[in-house]
Amino acid sequence: MTKFVLRRILSGILTVLIVFTMNFLLVKSAPGDPIRSLMGKETDDPALRAALEEKWGLNRPLHEQYFNYLENALRGDLGTSITYNRPVDQMIKERVAATLLLGLTALIIAFIVGTILGIFCARHDGSFLDSILSTSSYAADAMPSFWLGLMLIIIFATKLNLLPSHGMYDVRAGYTGLQYVLDVLSHLVLPCLTLVLITMPGYFRITKSSVLQVTNEDFITTMRATGMSERKIFNKYIFRNAILPTVTMLGISVAFLLTGVSLIEIVFSWPGIGSLTLTAITQRDYPTLMGIYLVMNLSVVVVMIITDILYAFLDPRIRYE
Amino acid sequence: MEHILVVKNLSVTYVNKNRRVMAVRDVSFDIDKGDSLGIVGESGSGKSTLAMALLRLHPDGTKITGEAFFEGKNLLTISNEEMNDIRWTKIAVVFQKAMNSLSAVHRISEQIEDIYRVHCPQTSSEEIKKRALELLKLVNLPDRVYRLYPHEMSGGMLQRVAIAISLLHSPQLLIFDEATTALDVVTQGQILREIVEMEKTLSTTRIMITHDMSVVATTCNKVAVMYAGELMEFGLVKDVLTHPHHPYTQGLQGSFPSLKGENNILTSIPGFLPDLSKECKGCVFAPRCSHATERCFMEKPPMISVGETGGAACWLCEGEKYGK
Repeated sequence: MTKFVLRRILSGILTVLIVFTMNFLLVKSAPGDPIRSLMGKETDDPALRAALEEKWGLNRPLHEQYFNYLENALRGDLGTSITYNRPVDQMIKERVAATLLLGLTALIIAFIVGTILGIFCARHDGSFLDSILSTSSYAADAMPSFWLGLMLIIIFATKLNLLPSHGMYDVRAGYTGLQYVLDVLSHLVLPCLTLVLITMPGYFRITKSSVLQVTNEDFITTMRATGMSERKIFNKYIFRNAILPTVTMLGISVAFLLTGVSLIEIVFSWPGIGSLTLTAITQRDYPTLMGIYLVMNLSVVVVMIITDILYAFLDPRIRYE
Repeated sequence: MEHILVVKNLSVTYVNKNRRVMAVRDVSFDIDKGDSLGIVGESGSGKSTLAMALLRLHPDGTKITGEAFFEGKNLLTISNEEMNDIRWTKIAVVFQKAMNSLSAVHRISEQIEDIYRVHCPQTSSEEIKKRALELLKLVNLPDRVYRLYPHEMSGGMLQRVAIAISLLHSPQLLIFDEATTALDVVTQGQILREIVEMEKTLSTTRIMITHDMSVVATTCNKVAVMYAGELMEFGLVKDVLTHPHHPYTQGLQGSFPSLKGENNILTSIPGFLPDLSKECKGCVFAPRCSHATERCFMEKPPMISVGETGGAACWLCEGEKYGK
């Protein structure tokens, strides 16, 4: 097991390094020029261009830029944003918190509610509630998330005027303490609801089909034949076997948490990683963009390693020797 | 001999939204203590359905009529609590696919402990382990098996584990539902020998559900032949296999090779199983029977006694006008 974990971590480091290099090359080869956006469209002064290139180190050879970046990144320094003129790592830290607040809240709600409903509908397959939930889960799955978000804004923010439509807190109010928390929560409701509605059907269906499948396995019939109570059979044997695919899906969702909610962040102007990425792309803000990619990549690799290890504990068939 | 199980007019109908399948129709038989009864028939003949109905493990909505008396109690009408008390302590079962008959994510030891404690909740782990190792030894498995996961074992080992588990509470009646079908011939032969050997020390009664006549021939003393949910013939193995009375039994025999004697050409029975969702007026086998007369299509033959203990549901057996 220790050997497996070590090997898994080593391959994780290698993955990060490869992606790091590819990011660097990809962003470098992308069309567009950060100096252009910095100078503004109208100015075209060669002296200013040279000064800016010198300042950002863009006039140095590619490999020098690469190793310089790698060295700094290892120290946690991701450079300075060209657009905002602030340290990238600091900006990402601020944005990650907002993204995690939105993404994790939605994920936890979607996972718990989806799994519970899935189990319930598997236990009452064909019931009235089951047919309603199963049908609407397909409908929710087919809906584009940004469209659903906009519809919720129209209904709850514009028409009913119940909830704020954008941002994470009321900038003008300047709340503190409990009032601030409540303000953030009210801003959280709509983007979170959108995400929950979009991701829950996945958990619902995978849990339902998994429970149904395990319930029809031969070993469940064996357990029934022994006179074991239905409750014990379910709590111990069906649940443990049926939860495996759900755990896989949860792992993937957590891994892509930082990237997964970008679209919703943009729709709701949520100050997270997603909207930062969008600005960085349009402004050709290389340091910021590469920093974001690196952090996303790291989070995917780390969470996947954790999921793999967790999975090895849950399913003895996958013991990595 | 005392009857341990008496089945009278048992019918099992699977009810679906728009279809009713009469999987078992009007089956009656009984088993004496210490007997080993083989129930044979091709796929879809209702033999597994019969076993499931006796254990009340049939899917919801299945309609069951008739009676099945086990130690004076009708298994089909007693309460769920009473049924649960009988399960595994008095009647245990070994299923077809040993590979899937245990949970893949729990150790054998854990599953055995759970199964044992269904009926004796206070037993300590050490005591259960002692009992389990005793039984594993009986089915020729090493002690280390107890700590393994199912995927770490071969099919034959798993089948032995399943047999050991079925013996945990020394049941009076053991049902083997195609228990050795999925195994290779060598392993199957070994396990069958072990079962017979085992029974010399245990006083169990056994029902062996199989489609394989040779399994019945080597491990049973009585046989019941089923076709399309109905009982065609029953009797002592030595009588039925040497002198089958029912044309269907004869057909079944013809479709297995004989090790001794000439290279007989294997014959298969022409035709297919009838549609089980339809009521059948005459004999169910009549459409495939080479001896069928007009009467066979019009009137259902009753079970007619043949020999000393046997019986066959065939008009040809009336007055022993026919036979080999």
